[in-house]
Amino acid sequence: MKNFFKTCLLRGTPSMVLALGAGFVMASSADIRAALGMGAAVLISMILTSIVVSAIHKFIPAYAKLPVYLLIITGFVSIIEMLMEAFFPIVVNMLGAHLAALAVSAVIYRDAEEVADHNGEWTSIKTALSTGIFLTVIMIVCALIREVLGNASIWGHEIAFLANYKVSALAGAFGGYLVLACVLAAIKKLTGAHEHLEEEENE
Amino acid sequence: MNIKHLLKTIAILLAIVAVFGVAMFGLNFLTGPIIAENNKGAEFAPLLAVMPDAENFEEVTSTLADIPESVIAVYKETSGKGFVVRAKASTQYSKEPMELTFGVTADGKICGIQLDVYTDSIDFRTKDANYITSFLEKDSALADIGTVSGATYSSTAFKDAVSAGFSALISNQLIAEGVKSDSQILAEMIPTLAPGMLKLEDAAVSGNIEKAWKSGNDAGFAYVIKSGEASYLALVNATGACLVYDVAGADVTVAQTAVADEAKAHAAAAQKSYVDALTTKVTRLYASAAEITSIEINTFNTVVAAVSFKVDGAEYYGFYSRSIGFHQMDVYFVIDANGAIAKMDANQFIFDKEYFHGFAGMDDAAYKAGFEGLTTDTWNGDAAVIATATMTSNAVKQSTDDVFATFNAIKGGAQ
Repeated sequence: MKNFFKTCLLRGTPSMVLALGAGFVMASSADIRAALGMGAAVLISMILTSIVVSAIHKFIPAYAKLPVYLLIITGFVSIIEMLMEAFFPIVVNMLGAHLAALAVSAVIYRDAEEVADHNGEWTSIKTALSTGIFLTVIMIVCALIREVLGNASIWGHEIAFLANYKVSALAGAFGGYLVLACVLAAIKKLTGAHEHLEEEENE
Repeated sequence: MNIKHLLKTIAILLAIVAVFGVAMFGLNFLTGPIIAENNKGAEFAPLLAVMPDAENFEEVTSTLADIPESVIAVYKETSGKGFVVRAKASTQYSKEPMELTFGVTADGKICGIQLDVYTDSIDFRTKDANYITSFLEKDSALADIGTVSGATYSSTAFKDAVSAGFSALISNQLIAEGVKSDSQILAEMIPTLAPGMLKLEDAAVSGNIEKAWKSGNDAGFAYVIKSGEASYLALVNATGACLVYDVAGADVTVAQTAVADEAKAHAAAAQKSYVDALTTKVTRLYASAAEITSIEINTFNTVVAAVSFKVDGAEYYGFYSRSIGFHQMDVYFVIDANGAIAKMDANQFIFDKEYFHGFAGMDDAAYKAGFEGLTTDTWNGDAAVIATATMTSNAVKQSTDDVFATFNAIKGGAQ
């Protein structure tokens, strides 16, 4: 199990390796509720897309894969957006256009095109699950740092004693990327990813 | 790509569109009403906050006539519980207008009130946490609602915005007008009768004095004093002159000497004298100034002290005006016997340069010299203008107006 998570971190999480999805990770990590909402949206849309793509990929001509996969992703994202708008309107307000922009997210498309298109349902679901979970974890960690230090609040509740010490820049886009970079660096260091990558380069 | 592949691709795309279309169509039956309810809730959230038991709202702004400019919107509670008003107000310190929402029950009383947007540098809520809630249960008379000491402009603007909202409802006969007490009517006359008493703050009361206010710029005191069954407004300026008015606004100073005496005695104990400061200033401006004599003035503007003096036999009048710009201003004028400004000076014109965006500095000496020679007839306000420092310019303009008014009152004898 440890190896599974480590592998996911090193290879399976595009935000870790390719920095894919850094835009929506940054956009949704200013508040923990937004991070959870976006994480759930990404996770569900990835799983559903993987199931459908791995089931029908044999019937899709190679030249039509891009529009077909994008259409499938868009469909699921739209459904998820409708459900979230109905049951989690506050989160949708926080995420704004970034939720709809998931439809053209490289993370989900990569998952569909590189994994689901070449594997069976179970492998695809497992990969989508690991990628989605780790993206959510990264977003939550970033959100925790940014909301507490940048907004002096947690889950929307003000932390009174921090109110005069908050670093507002962390709540903005620059702060978002800065925190994301630090979190990714920390994870790589903790998991030994840098050594792994160096080994790969030497090979 | 042959036609068969093309058709297959089109069929797949159409099938996917159809499947998702049907799914979303079905889902819309579930989520559509919930989303509509959410949107409605978001739109009416500020309204529900001030009228929690409301069932629904209908905006009626466009159906109303003579709505004050500060009223943003008026909503009617559809089951007849009352109205909700959204209003805005600005002060000279505002970057953006403050916005507030308050609910008024069908019988004309405030049932809820909140400040939605506030950008002033001085927050009256921190100076008086109960100020906003003190409006609850009040009718349009807003009895006993004063201002917040240290945040007079913003709290006054807040109160005025509420009054404007009431005006909109009353003038359209949606609610009945609240009955104002004599004390309230008299208090509302102060800005008109004593326009120089700025930033009024509550002062201690005693004897027959029901209410007392001290002007923040030390231009005098205002009192509501009970005498028999009636109440009177007594105004005492910085030099100790007093005028008494009844609720109809008539000057009854001669008939109400006891009221005037009580007001004068109360003010004398607390009024700061600026005669010495003015005398010092005059002697700095004119080293040979002689026969400097304090003058009691009967104007109720920003002039807090006046003296007459002689320089080489020529008669001059010195005035000390305390208007308020970005901060308290201390402005001095010397006017010759012919009514022309001989000198103008101020302790400071620009206080916090960082607040004056684009301020390129000013030549103090040239600015002051620009006033010299101006008379009531030639003064048009232009000399007071300081580029990008509107509040300071307005304060100097007010001081100049007030000094000319006081000079003319002295020379005319009918102050």
